[in-house]
Amino acid sequence: MERGSVAGRPALTVRGELDLATAPVLAQAVDGELSPPPRSLVLDLTPTAFMDSSGARELVRVARKAAAAGVALHVVAPHENSAVRLTIDLLELGAVVPIVASAAEIPAASAEREARP
Amino acid sequence: MSDRSPPDAALRTVPEEALLRCADEPIAIPGAVQPHGVLLAVTEPDLAVVMASANATGFFGRPVDALDQVLGDADLARLTDGLAEGLTEVDPIRVQVAGEPVDLVVHRADGLLLTEWEPVPGAEQAGAAWHRRLPTVLQRLSAAATLDDLTEVLARDVRALTGFDRVMVYRFDAEWNGEVVAEDRRADLEPFFGLHYPASDIPAQARALYATNWMRLIPDAAYRRVPLEPAAHPLTGRPLDLSGAMLRSVSPVHLEYLANMGVRASMSISLIDRGRLWGLIACHHYAGAHRPAYADRTAAEFLGRTASLLLHTKVAAGEQSGVVEVAQRQAQLAAVVGRTPRELAAVLTDGPVTALDLIPAGGVAVRINRQLRLLGRTPPAERVGPLVSALLAAGAPVTDAVSRAVPSAADLAGTASGALVVPVGGDDFLAWFRPETVREVAWAGNPHLSKTTQTDDGPRLSPRRSFDAWSETVRETAQPWREHEVAAARTLAAALTDAALSWAAEDNRLATALQRTLLLEELPTVPGFALAARYLASAEDVVGGDWYDLVPLPGGRVSIVLGDVAGHGLAAASITAQLRHALRAHLLRASGPGVALDGLNEVIAALLPGEMATAVVVELDPATGEVVVANAGHLPVLHVTSTGTHLLAEGRGPALGLLDAAGYRETRVRLAGADRLLLYSDGLVERGRNGLAAGLEALREVVRLAPAEPQALLDAVLTAIDPPDIDDVTLVGIARS
Repeated sequence: MERGSVAGRPALTVRGELDLATAPVLAQAVDGELSPPPRSLVLDLTPTAFMDSSGARELVRVARKAAAAGVALHVVAPHENSAVRLTIDLLELGAVVPIVASAAEIPAASAEREARP
Repeated sequence: MSDRSPPDAALRTVPEEALLRCADEPIAIPGAVQPHGVLLAVTEPDLAVVMASANATGFFGRPVDALDQVLGDADLARLTDGLAEGLTEVDPIRVQVAGEPVDLVVHRADGLLLTEWEPVPGAEQAGAAWHRRLPTVLQRLSAAATLDDLTEVLARDVRALTGFDRVMVYRFDAEWNGEVVAEDRRADLEPFFGLHYPASDIPAQARALYATNWMRLIPDAAYRRVPLEPAAHPLTGRPLDLSGAMLRSVSPVHLEYLANMGVRASMSISLIDRGRLWGLIACHHYAGAHRPAYADRTAAEFLGRTASLLLHTKVAAGEQSGVVEVAQRQAQLAAVVGRTPRELAAVLTDGPVTALDLIPAGGVAVRINRQLRLLGRTPPAERVGPLVSALLAAGAPVTDAVSRAVPSAADLAGTASGALVVPVGGDDFLAWFRPETVREVAWAGNPHLSKTTQTDDGPRLSPRRSFDAWSETVRETAQPWREHEVAAARTLAAALTDAALSWAAEDNRLATALQRTLLLEELPTVPGFALAARYLASAEDVVGGDWYDLVPLPGGRVSIVLGDVAGHGLAAASITAQLRHALRAHLLRASGPGVALDGLNEVIAALLPGEMATAVVVELDPATGEVVVANAGHLPVLHVTSTGTHLLAEGRGPALGLLDAAGYRETRVRLAGADRLLLYSDGLVERGRNGLAAGLEALREVVRLAPAEPQALLDAVLTAIDPPDIDDVTLVGIARS
């Protein structure tokens, strides 16, 4: 889990596997990001090597938490990363989780100026 | 803007070799003194001058051949009496030179009597008031309960006495690196408290000198050195030993060092614990030259000597206090573990007292029941498990130099230069991490950015150079783990192991019992069709969320179900049981598999919020071979026909629990001839070497070539794919008999 910024927005990048063992780490990291809630948050799964159903369930929970906090969430999952993208598509997570295929699809945040200080 | 050269230029004027040169420098015999006094080396008993500092003639207004030329009879008598009595009784003798009061201080070296003459005018006087308070100060020193208290009192009172802008107490570690452990300073100055300095800042021969000579003073670091004349001792032919002289001129490297830090005047007093140099009281002045009066310096030295005698008692008390704190937290954690045995990982990372509170560390990783939680600053989640395994394999579960035990972890030095790992049964563990010590240093700002501070006195530079040098000595090492910290970690781990084992055994018993009810003892017979099912538990015998089911429907049709709840263990097993039974009820009532899945989805949304599951339902009409398939986020059913092997991409909808109302679609196929269907869980395909897509492709290839008979088909699939045993695997095969 790595903090940074993507498309001018605060971002968490998930490296390695997002599975039963590591889902709690994502939960903790997101809780940290959401207090206090930023205007938007990017979750970058581009370098994520693997995601199982527990990881997917955590993504859904993250999406609900973000929505409840009024945070615009963007989850980046490129089609080239089939290990993650195929799971997302089979589960149709896009019904709940705002998925984009690349950071370029995220609306620029320049007007909001909310990159990390 | 300042007209001085920029700080980096100033830094560059100290060449790298200067530090090395410094170590060889003959600091005891500089052949010169500082200009705030005069040195005359005389023979005894005639007090004839054999060597003099070059400023002597100017000071006395005439060349001096013997002391009786410059001392009055009374002063001379006091000196000669003192020489007979013992030198310590002499210092200082207040004498008059050209009508001005002068403090005369004497000591013997190289067979000569070294007399040093320091004018009283120009010296700062703390005044009699301070000296009257001396008993109170001594009382404060001895009353200090801890080492921190003692050094704090010392810094404060030495500053009150001497008037320096900053007074630090500086402690050496075993390798002679120093740390500022107490500080009193002018309010506008940046704190140096907590800063570290490399051993090279105070070279060995300087430390040797400090162990015998208790005090050094440089009233004006911009001074011009005053040579001794003649340069060599006339009897030995060698330079005069000035190690005991208060006017001794110091190394030019040291003066550059002071200049780099913006220090104009400095004084240091040794702190010696039972014969070993323990640390220093280091005094800095920035505003200008600064010379406390001899009497005040003596009083400050006296405070240093007194504190030195007290050091070993306070050191012991300080070490003890850490032990008590750790023991207290250990007791608190043990109580929490006892109260909340089922949520150990959560309690240890999110509770009021966490595993990170137990031991001073940067971060902690808690892996219990295969679930990893991180707290504080740790390596990234995906590196923690491999690092812990590597440390255990290397036989270095407790180390303050991780990269020495596991070279591939060198890039983790920022969070894990030190690691304390204790296994908690199975693959579980607790691991505390300490960062590279260099990063732990409490710089007021980023040491790699500007360390120049503009003050009223111009730009001032912090000892960044020292920081750099010091960093090299501690690269990729952390503060060592203390014995009682390791013991506390192991005790906590033992408590966790006991709690986890007993509860894991209980959970597993329950979950296994529950799961057994989910698996059918025997598959119902379906006329004209053969069915087979397999359930493989994971290696750790942790119950997963897979289930399968066969539900005979009115009218002869039968629903074949394969589902998977996200998660593992007792919680997942109980959800699995609820979903299986709920789906049964909906299948019996619903008009088709899509509507049944809609009903099941509503159950999750209403009763199990936050949970997620996938399921595929195949409704078979044995009379016609018609099959209706609805799939809620599950892996696609494999349909083998005479024309090929197809992954059913139709009749799909989102996983259960995502939406309040999903509206699952259905797709229809027909089982004819040797056609067969395969339903399977993700454990079969997702952990393959090349990921899920490759796993699906491999499965398709295996099924294409496998026998049609379901039992043989499943055996062939499992043999060929040999799924890793970290997840449970479920398979159901259907074909005409």
